[in-house]
Amino acid sequence: MSTDHWHASDDLAARYADGTLPEADAWSLERHLERCGGCAQRVSAAVRQLPAPALVLAEVREAVLAQAVPSEVREPSTVLAEAVASEVREPSTMLAEAVPSEVREPSTMLAEAAASEVREASTAPPAPRARLWSSFLARPLWAAGPAVRGAWLPAVLLVALGALALAYGAGVDGARPLLLAAAPVVPVLGVALSYGPHADPLHEIAAATPSGGLRLLLTRTVAVLAVSLPSLTLAGLLLPASGAPGAAAWLLPGLALTLATLTLAGYVGCRAAAAVTGGGWLCAVPVPALASSADAPLTRLTEQLSLVLDGPLAQGAWATAAVLCAAALAAGRSAYRMERP
Amino acid sequence: MSTIRVTGLHVRHRRTVALDSVDLDLGPGVHGLLGPNGAGKTSLIRVLATVAAPNGGRVELLGDDVADHRRRAAVRRRLGYLPQEFGFYPGFTVREFVAYMAWLKEMPAAGTPAAVERAVARVGLADRIDTKVKTLSGGMVRRVGIAQAIVNDPQVLLLDEPTAGLDPEQRMEFRALLRELGTSSTVVVSTHLVEDVAAACTEVTLVESGRIAYRGTPASLTELGASADGVGDHPIERGYTAALRAHRASAATPEGAAR
Repeated sequence: MSTDHWHASDDLAARYADGTLPEADAWSLERHLERCGGCAQRVSAAVRQLPAPALVLAEVREAVLAQAVPSEVREPSTVLAEAVASEVREPSTMLAEAVPSEVREPSTMLAEAAASEVREASTAPPAPRARLWSSFLARPLWAAGPAVRGAWLPAVLLVALGALALAYGAGVDGARPLLLAAAPVVPVLGVALSYGPHADPLHEIAAATPSGGLRLLLTRTVAVLAVSLPSLTLAGLLLPASGAPGAAAWLLPGLALTLATLTLAGYVGCRAAAAVTGGGWLCAVPVPALASSADAPLTRLTEQLSLVLDGPLAQGAWATAAVLCAAALAAGRSAYRMERP
Repeated sequence: MSTIRVTGLHVRHRRTVALDSVDLDLGPGVHGLLGPNGAGKTSLIRVLATVAAPNGGRVELLGDDVADHRRRAAVRRRLGYLPQEFGFYPGFTVREFVAYMAWLKEMPAAGTPAAVERAVARVGLADRIDTKVKTLSGGMVRRVGIAQAIVNDPQVLLLDEPTAGLDPEQRMEFRALLRELGTSSTVVVSTHLVEDVAAACTEVTLVESGRIAYRGTPASLTELGASADGVGDHPIERGYTAALRAHRASAATPEGAAR
């Protein structure tokens, strides 16, 4: 048991739980909890009495916002922030969690993850480096636009898991070509659902902020790419090759199409731009292959994909296209001015 | 000292003229923007909020031309805007929503938590700060909108129908907040409620058919109501209708003369 000459009172435990305990006292309490099971239980009970998960999530967010002054971040919240951060930093874990249930919001997931960590948090005090993690949490959370918060995220998972189910569940030979044909459209759709009055309920007020316009769209596009590039490539790697190009072959076309969408969006809006680029890819690659030859559409699709994706020439062309689109975006960024009334 | 300077402003929605050669000079204080539906109040506020670009004319906020995109970000950091309608992400609590807006306004992260709590307390929602926005009533959502507009202590604050959906007691509190905000910043409030203007505004601008119909103070508008014949239960309401009629009559005259 404890070698300390004191124990945590109920009042102290309550103040620790609701975060009103001064930082120095919180630290010394935590050091004490490492050695004293009785006090750990009492503090744990106090934490459980909080109206979780709402308050807990609020605490997490508060910790995130206080990132610039790490010394002011209180301990209980940093533990949670660390728990959440580890969830965020492990996209596959996060995605795997979201799969079995219906469409859940990232914030709900985080709240649950945080709430489940509360009990352990109070018995196992955090290492000081916990505060470091909270700073990693801020950007991804705020930067995730409506696409990553909404229905697009489950759609990405559906594509990835659908391909796996086709290959291993239904025994379809040719799941990887199908995935490669669909993958470049996924980030394009993410862009379409990230910005503009139709996609973002906050658009009107966000447009009046310094972040509004191209900057916010770019931040959200990064979030979209951060989710879709690894998950779809990973799914592709898990699929049998079936003679199709490599699982990473779609990355440059996906990037080029995304940049083309951003370039066009300044002039015609995100939805129309995505319809042009995503629709263009679909009409150019999978649709003719799947529609033309009735006997072996998947073989045709594989040939078609090899033509546009395989080899240094094709990949070099996509890389050039991506660079040109980026240059066009930089040159035409003034198109992202204020909207016309 | 004028913080908002508008010259020769033209705004069209397709082929309808929303604002027609509007000149406006506003300094610190609370400016009531009155006018019938479709007069151009919302068009004016959206242009001032740098959300919509005008078809012609010049808008200067805090001394900077907002058409210059290099200056615009700096102006927007000192801007607060409450649109007539706004949405929110369903999972956000009041605190998260206002903090997110603070992030979009590029407020320094260190001061944000305190600024968020202060803004939420100023609109009287301190006890609801950790409630989800979607569970709040319409009037409370409106107050959350006001909180996000004032979180960065803006020097130019644009509020489109902020009192819609507020009950009488909340309106009283809101007027007090307006008066307080108006001591340091330029507040433009569009409203249908003439009594809001009488109670909270230092100046009145009346918009009609895309033009400025009247400029003065609540006192001068009340005076106009006492001398001219207008419809209304309250002197300032009579002043409002009298000023509108006078503007319509003078707008009709040049056309009649030209015929």
